[in-house]
Formats: sequence, structure tokens, C-alpha cells
Amino acid sequence: MSSAQPLYPDEPPPPARGLTREERGRDVSKAQAEVEAETSTGKRLLKSMDPRFVMSMADGYPAVLKQFLQFCLILIYPAWLFGVLAAAAIYYSVYGVLWVVFSPIRLWMKKNRPDDYAASQRK
Amino acid sequence: MGLFRRSTSIDVTVSPTVAVPRQTVTATISGSLDRVRSARLDWGYTNFFRYHWAGHADSAAAQVNDDLWLLGEVGTNYGGDRDTEEWVSVTATDLPIATGELAGGSYDFRVPSWAPASSEEIARWSCRLTVDRDGRDVDARGDFTVLIRPEDADAGDEPMERYDGAGETVIDIALPSPVYAAGQVVRGQVRLTPTADLPEGDLRVSWQRHRESHPLTKNPCATAPVDGPVVKLGKGIPLRAGSPIVVPFEVTLPADAAPTAAAVHSSMSWFIRAELFYAGFTSHMTERVRKPIVVVNSVG
Repeated sequence: MSSAQPLYPDEPPPPARGLTREERGRDVSKAQAEVEAETSTGKRLLKSMDPRFVMSMADGYPAVLKQFLQFCLILIYPAWLFGVLAAAAIYYSVYGVLWVVFSPIRLWMKKNRPDDYAASQRK
Repeated sequence: MGLFRRSTSIDVTVSPTVAVPRQTVTATISGSLDRVRSARLDWGYTNFFRYHWAGHADSAAAQVNDDLWLLGEVGTNYGGDRDTEEWVSVTATDLPIATGELAGGSYDFRVPSWAPASSEEIARWSCRLTVDRDGRDVDARGDFTVLIRPEDADAGDEPMERYDGAGETVIDIALPSPVYAAGQVVRGQVRLTPTADLPEGDLRVSWQRHRESHPLTKNPCATAPVDGPVVKLGKGIPLRAGSPIVVPFEVTLPADAAPTAAAVHSSMSWFIRAELFYAGFTSHMTERVRKPIVVVNSVG
């Protein structure tokens, strides 16, 4: 509001403001950004098993707390691996069943609506 | 025995204690201090804001934390938001020190035209005296309040913002003025222009305020607008294409409303919002629109 007013020559300019969370964009660690850049679900699951990815969850914490969190993350790493493998097992079994169930529709789309089919295959 | 020598106290008072933009205020330093190396007089404000104190806000761990929270495991948390404050300097001057002694004096400051209004949620204006000395350093401050009057607000007629819904009914909020004082009644009209024949609608209006977090160095946190008490304007309003409907309304702003302000680390925005619900379990989405207004201090 008042910052939009013309500046008077005898007053200092308003100090620059920071950025909101929306303006800054997605706030993730470098390791997580690499995982999210993968388009293939399999590769994404594989990369999320990387200990570097798990450790990166402690990024952005103050020193000492960060090291303590990394220690805790090492402790739960086997459980994390199990969780990712369980997620992969559920994902591929459900995806496989749906792939078979919907294959007639997919083949019909491929034959009769090639443009829409091509668009649905892009990720 | 310098260790046990009684240090003379120093005090900063600002007069007048309530000022408006472009007004000059005077800081008076009373008392004196010895063994002073340097002294600095700083005019500015303490900016209050929330920030994300640790961790990456969109981290996978934050998502897992949200899932646990939904499962009822509220004891865990990843990162989180905290309230904090930071000093924003507007002008600073080094005070003259003669033979290591800081004596009293008076110093003027003109409140800038862009000054954010004083409020518990955004800013506290002060004159700060920071003294670096051989003994204990001194940090004294004198506070003053910056009030924004309607004539200080440079506000035009802002466009409507649609933040929910498909725009099947064009909603326009007409207000006689974009500037309102805290506690004032906002009187206006909502104009509904259906683009097609639609089910009957329920119309509500309320005020909305949004305190945003945009720190310069710390991590900003996600903020959400807060809606005021809802004023129901009509139930079962017929919405037919080509027949616009105009509904007058009155919304009272809270008496202790923090004025609209744009500071370095946080800002406060105010809106009048309208929402239109469609009758029945159909696929018509609720329409929500808002119109920015400027809230100023209630003076006099």
C-alpha cells in the first residue's frame, strides 16, 4: 500500500523484502531433487534407497541436531529399505493387475485415438 | 577498581510517542556513559514474522510426518514453524564521542511515507542506541507507534481475485472506497452474473486477512488466510443466465485489526471475500472470490 507512493527525496528507500514460500519454489534437498527429477517410478524407488537420500532428510537442521538426526536415520535405515521394497511390491502388483485389466481399452485407444494415446504415455 | 565502578545509566525516549508517516519524531538521550568506544543511533522497526525453523519444508520426511499426523501420531514433528523477530534498520548514524564519553542529546527522524504501521503482528518502531564500550555494552531503545491514517494509504480500486471455483457465476464486489479503518463497517454490493442456468445459490461474505511470511534470510513458512465471521446474504438465490443479481452487504472489521502493511520479513493484507454455494449434489464447484482492501488505523 503505502510503499507504492512516490518516494520523497529526503527519505531513504524502502528496504527490499524477502520471498514467500510460493515465490521461492519447492524447498527440497539436492538429493531429493535428483530423485524427483526421475520420471521412471522404478528408478525413483531405487534412488530413494540411496543412503544419501535418507541422510538428506536431516539437511536444514542446525548443527548437532543434524548429526543426531543423521544418527537416528542410520538406525532406521533398514526399516526404510524394507518400506521402499514393500511399496515397490505393492506398486508393481497393483500396477500389473490394472495394466492387464485395462489393456483392451488401451489397445482400443492406441488404434482409434493415437494422439490421445501418445499424450497419455508421456510423463 | 574499574570492575566495581558504578556505570551511569543511559535512557532513550522518543517524542511524540505516536506519529504518522512524514512526521518528525525526536529521540532524546538522557544520562551519560564513560569508557565508550563507539555509539550508534539506529532508527527502524522490529519486524515480527513466522518462519520454518529447520528442515526442508517439502522434504520427503515432512510428507511422512504429515501422514503420521493424520494417523494420530501427533507427537512427531519434522521442522515446524516458529515466531521470531528481526531488526530492520532504516537510518543509522554514529554519535560523536568526546574523550570516551557519550553525553545526552536530541536527534530527529522523519517517519518515511512507506512505513509499515505499528502492530503486534508486523512491526514495532523504535530508536535504538547501541554503545560499544570497555565495560558492559549498552543497548537501549525508545519505542514509538506509527499510525496509518486513511489519507496516508495510497490505494486504488484493486481487481477481483477468484481463488476457488470454475467461474460459472461471475462475482463482482463493489465497494465505495478501498480504504477502511479498523472497526469500521464495510458496506458494498455483490453482483452475481450467472454465465448459464445454474442451481440456486447460497451467498456469504466476510472479511479475510493474510499475514504472509517472506523473510530475507530465514526459510519462509506456508501461511494461510484467516476468514472473519460469515455474513449470510441469501439462501436459494435463483441463478439464471442473463439475469444478474445485486445483493447489498455489511461487514464489520475487527476493532483491533492490524493495519495493512508491507514490511521486509512479513506483510499484512486484507480482503472482502464472497463465496457462492450451489444447491444439490452436482458437479458445480463453490465459487470464492475476494477483493483487496486497505485497512488503516482508527484515528480519533
